[in-house]
Amino acid sequence: MNTTRAELRKLVTLPSLRLTALLTWTGTLLLTFAYASAESRGEPLGHDAALAPLGYTQAGFLVLGVLAAASEHQAGDQIRTTLLAMPRRLPLHAAKAVTLAAVTLPLAAVTAVTSTVPAGDTARTPAATAYLILTTLLAAAVASLVRRAVPAMVLLLSLYFIAGPLLRARSDTIAAYLPDTAALDPSRGTAATIIWTLSALTLAALTVHRRDA
Amino acid sequence: MVRLIRAELRKLLGLPTAWVGLVLGTLMAPVVVLLNAPYTRRAIAAGTLTDTPDLGLRDLGIGLIGPVILGVIVVSSEYTSTGEDAPGARQLTATLTAAPDRLRLLAAKTTALVLVVAAQAAITAAATLTLTKVLYAEHAPAPAPTRVVAAILYWVLTALLAYAIALITRNGIVPLTLLILNSTVVSVSYLLTKVTDLAAYLPDIAGAHMFIRSADFPVEIAPVTAGLVMTAWVVALLAVGAVLFHRRDA
Repeated sequence: MNTTRAELRKLVTLPSLRLTALLTWTGTLLLTFAYASAESRGEPLGHDAALAPLGYTQAGFLVLGVLAAASEHQAGDQIRTTLLAMPRRLPLHAAKAVTLAAVTLPLAAVTAVTSTVPAGDTARTPAATAYLILTTLLAAAVASLVRRAVPAMVLLLSLYFIAGPLLRARSDTIAAYLPDTAALDPSRGTAATIIWTLSALTLAALTVHRRDA
Repeated sequence: MVRLIRAELRKLLGLPTAWVGLVLGTLMAPVVVLLNAPYTRRAIAAGTLTDTPDLGLRDLGIGLIGPVILGVIVVSSEYTSTGEDAPGARQLTATLTAAPDRLRLLAAKTTALVLVVAAQAAITAAATLTLTKVLYAEHAPAPAPTRVVAAILYWVLTALLAYAIALITRNGIVPLTLLILNSTVVSVSYLLTKVTDLAAYLPDIAGAHMFIRSADFPVEIAPVTAGLVMTAWVVALLAVGAVLFHRRDA
């Protein structure tokens, strides 16, 4: 319990996370407005205005996860202090994942509502919220493997926003296996998102357990 | 100055992430052209693809992640901590000790970045256009040399845009996220053009007018004007970045 509380305080007091949250929400608002005004002009952009803005602003959640995990490895190597206070690494890793999910929950919910409610599709809010939390956890797992924020961001953004769309355009079979298909088409990609996130978290846990800090 | 530029070139090319940007940026466009060849052929045969003169040049855009990474990494590498033993130390301290004149240093950095990205863009453009020519010889006439140069200029300006934003934020994440998001299939700027026609003057939308002819843009901008608009954006942001770099504590 103490660990969770400590991790929570560390996350909540990171200024970069607050800024990311603010920018992510503002971006969603702006995009929702863009979709709504395109629709009212009679030239809708794509078929699903409820989820489409989230397809973009999930980038903010990737940033959130990466910053949360990479902050331990930035200048000063906070991870050493953390491990000194909390030497059992697997419980520590679990506590980190739980707190990150808890911190992300309100932001994910607010962002999802911002996007789904104006489009009149409230029923999808819980699924979208869950997706955004899973995406944040996946990003955090990747960042704790890579340990540096910029390379982790390059990897994740190019997978989510360049390789993903290209592969999805090529074949529906591949699309079902990509972690971000669920952002636009929850009926198909949900299992993939969950499996990707769980395997990334497991891999990160094993690595954190075995590797020198 | 030449020595400064050479030093900056070596620093840039010594970064592993820079090579990720170089390889990704250079290979992405040709590989996508190759992979899409069967679909494109079918579309041409069926007559659904009407903008064949833009074929090669349009696919170039997919490689823009390369210049973005390079532009960001030039700055962000200076600000990352050098290592566990000296957590407060960053490469910038050493750089400024060796080259105390900050504006000269910035000029050298900019030149190094422009050289690398221009070379990368030229190679990528040559590869992509040759491939397009081989694949659809009779359908895709070679674009005019000025348009190819404009495409290379677009790459360089995009790299400088990323570089300028990174100079202002002193952090790689903001420009990376912004610009990679914007290089997606349906870019955020393109969405904004649906809200207001003014968004057509955002750097990436205006810049694309330099070399793409047939596209769904709300406002038609002449190629030269488009180049000037994008250059104005880059110059303005670079000026802010330079002032901040000059005045701020390292």
